[in-house]
Amino acid sequence: MFTLKDLRPGQKACVGSIAVEGLMRRKLMDMGVTPGVEIQVNKTAPFGDPIEVRLRGYSLSLRKKDAENILMVQ
Amino acid sequence: MKYRIALVGNPNSGKTTLFNCLTGSNLYVGNWPGVTVEKKEGNLRDTAKDITLVDLPGIYSLAPYSMDEIVSRNFLLEERPDLIINIIDASNIERNLYLSTQLMELNCPMVGALNMMDVVKKTGVEIDVREMEKIFGYPFIEISAQKETGIDELIKLVEKTVDIKKLKEFPQIFPQEIMTLFNEFDELIQNKYSDVLADYPRLFRIIKLIEKDEEVLLKIHENGDLLKDIYTVRKKIEALSNHDVDSAIADYRYRFITAGISKATQKTKENVIEFQEKLDQVLMNRYAALPIFFLFMFVIYYVSITLVGDITIGGIEWFINDVLMVAVAAGLGSLGAADWIIALINDGIITGVGAVLTFVPQLVVLFIFISILEDSGYMARVAFIMDRIFRHFGLSGKSFIPMVVGLGCSVPGIMATRTLENERERKLTAVLTPFISCGAKMPIYVLMASVFFTKYQTLLVFSLYLVSLTVVFGSGFVLSKTWFKGADSGYLLEIPPLRLPKLRNTATQVWERTKEFIVRAGTIIFAASVVLWFLQSFTPSFQMVDSPDASILAMFGKIIAPIFIPLGFGNWVASVALLTGVAAKEMIISTMSVLLSGQDGSFTVAISQIFTPVSAYSFVIFVLLASPCMAAIATMKKELGNWRDFFFALSYQIGLAYAVSFIVYQVGSRIFV
Ligand SMILES: Nc1nc2c(ncn2[C@@H]2O[C@H](COP(=O)(O)OP(=O)(O)O)[C@@H](O)[C@H]2O)c(=O)[nH]1
Ligand SMILES: [Mg+2]
Repeated sequence: MFTLKDLRPGQKACVGSIAVEGLMRRKLMDMGVTPGVEIQVNKTAPFGDPIEVRLRGYSLSLRKKDAENILMVQ
Repeated sequence: MKYRIALVGNPNSGKTTLFNCLTGSNLYVGNWPGVTVEKKEGNLRDTAKDITLVDLPGIYSLAPYSMDEIVSRNFLLEERPDLIINIIDASNIERNLYLSTQLMELNCPMVGALNMMDVVKKTGVEIDVREMEKIFGYPFIEISAQKETGIDELIKLVEKTVDIKKLKEFPQIFPQEIMTLFNEFDELIQNKYSDVLADYPRLFRIIKLIEKDEEVLLKIHENGDLLKDIYTVRKKIEALSNHDVDSAIADYRYRFITAGISKATQKTKENVIEFQEKLDQVLMNRYAALPIFFLFMFVIYYVSITLVGDITIGGIEWFINDVLMVAVAAGLGSLGAADWIIALINDGIITGVGAVLTFVPQLVVLFIFISILEDSGYMARVAFIMDRIFRHFGLSGKSFIPMVVGLGCSVPGIMATRTLENERERKLTAVLTPFISCGAKMPIYVLMASVFFTKYQTLLVFSLYLVSLTVVFGSGFVLSKTWFKGADSGYLLEIPPLRLPKLRNTATQVWERTKEFIVRAGTIIFAASVVLWFLQSFTPSFQMVDSPDASILAMFGKIIAPIFIPLGFGNWVASVALLTGVAAKEMIISTMSVLLSGQDGSFTVAISQIFTPVSAYSFVIFVLLASPCMAAIATMKKELGNWRDFFFALSYQIGLAYAVSFIVYQVGSRIFV
């Protein structure tokens, strides 16, 4: 089992399930982070957090704290 | 027949650009009632019909989480526009259509404007608009708000569609078995709870109830039976979809979209790496990102404050003092006006309003830079870089931008907080931004440094910036846990592609902001200048003063001076200067020079008689931190929106300034006796 946080820049995988809670969970879904969608990690911010990912043809940035609650599958 | 239509779309979809294309000059800009979200209305151009276009805030969904979303949703549900123009960034079509699937549930006629088609064409994608209409159930049109193509066709389509009274059925987004559940649930609602949200569009009501939407839950008043029934369908949906309800509903929407666009779009050639992408790689390079950012900030600050300031301020001051005032004095004098009228106009109004207007050229340049940074997509990148640092202080990366702008002038800084979507963060940032030392406070530091700290001038100024940063972060840390407490909104930010801003957009935006600033100078500052002049020119028995220390203002100064004794500057000159400094920070020095002019020796000698090095330092700290000038106070009131937060902010700023100066003086005067 690995999470979105474990992906290195350039790597991609599909979302398995989203264990983020509360408001952020809804927001993630609204932004297209739903089970099955393919996500690629683009880069990490200069201070090491947040990260920028690419999905559904656009770029989204989120904190590692949330990324580590997004479970991925190959 | 009057029509009202709404422009709805995601942030960064080109909404502002399209709005400017579609409307003429008769623009109304205000606030939505009760909130500080900007409301813009304008008449649709080139049409015989009377159509008002309302610009709704950019949103990703109709969930009620941000002020923007609530404003948009309430407008769509309660005001029932005659038509929705759904603007879609076609280069990011999948995510943009997600909002469309929610708008389709509102039972409102819609047209889709597929924007950024110039970009889409370059990437080799073709969109079949007829197929899109078949799949989504409303007409689409390809446009580019930037290149102004397709705009006339869009206006024609709007004219045509707005008259069609009978609504076509929107297609079904959810699979049949889910729809059956929805319909059963709806029957139950209509039979058992017929008064629940009866005026909501049917499908919207069903889904929002099932989603346990927060606003909707508030409206059903803890109806226990209904909550149980909702629980039952939720379980059924979970069993059917193998997901929890939230992911199931979002997932069905996205599936519908993905299936739809794979039918309606076609890729005809491979992607080439665009210049913009390469530029992005450089700007956001791990090692170069920060230096580049600081370079930009330095250039912006240097150009607008120093360069433009040097060129214009002298000229404007010369115009005000040597041309305008002389002309007013001569003109009114020849008309036989009383001396006090001339003095009121010259020393009161022109001086007060003029002090603020002197900054207009610098502000315009600053506004141009800010607007370009915003429209190009660079601001989002700055927020991305800075988030790591700011989150420790109850803020997110986006708060950094207003503060950088505040280095020049707090007014545009506070105005820039509008780009923050979270209300709590927006208010907190607006309260913290005045702690950043603005350009107008600089002359005071320089004066005091040259009189008292000759050897350590730079060190003194540098220490002030350190104090200011410490106060910003410290206050952020404390206030975010107390007065501006609230759920951490977290950080989830779209990073839009870098785009070349459109000149007309920049011009419109700069003009709107500048106008706002000038209007404020013409109203609030005008009134305050008159009052201040009166207090400064008359004795308590309403005689014109002979020497400044007999005026009402001086009397006030003498009354409040004891308050400042613990801070080391309990003399009436300093107190009066602080009072006039409320009008504009530049007034502090000019007031002191006027009030001390009767004394022997030069101004600097006089200053060194009423201050000691420690009390001078305590004084500049107080000036740095205490409530900002009138223009900034008025702006803060506007952005905070309510009196309660406003009075808190003001007392916090003054109280903190007092406390810090107190400590500085009390500790300092014991060390350096
Ligand atoms: N290439 C291109 N750029 C566009 C188009 N429409 C808007 N833009 C640019 O996209 C950026 C964001 O536009 P804006 O109107 O501020 O988006 P908003 O956030 O939806 O209000 C700006 O730099 C615009 O100049 C378009 O049709 N084509
Ligand atoms: Mg906009």
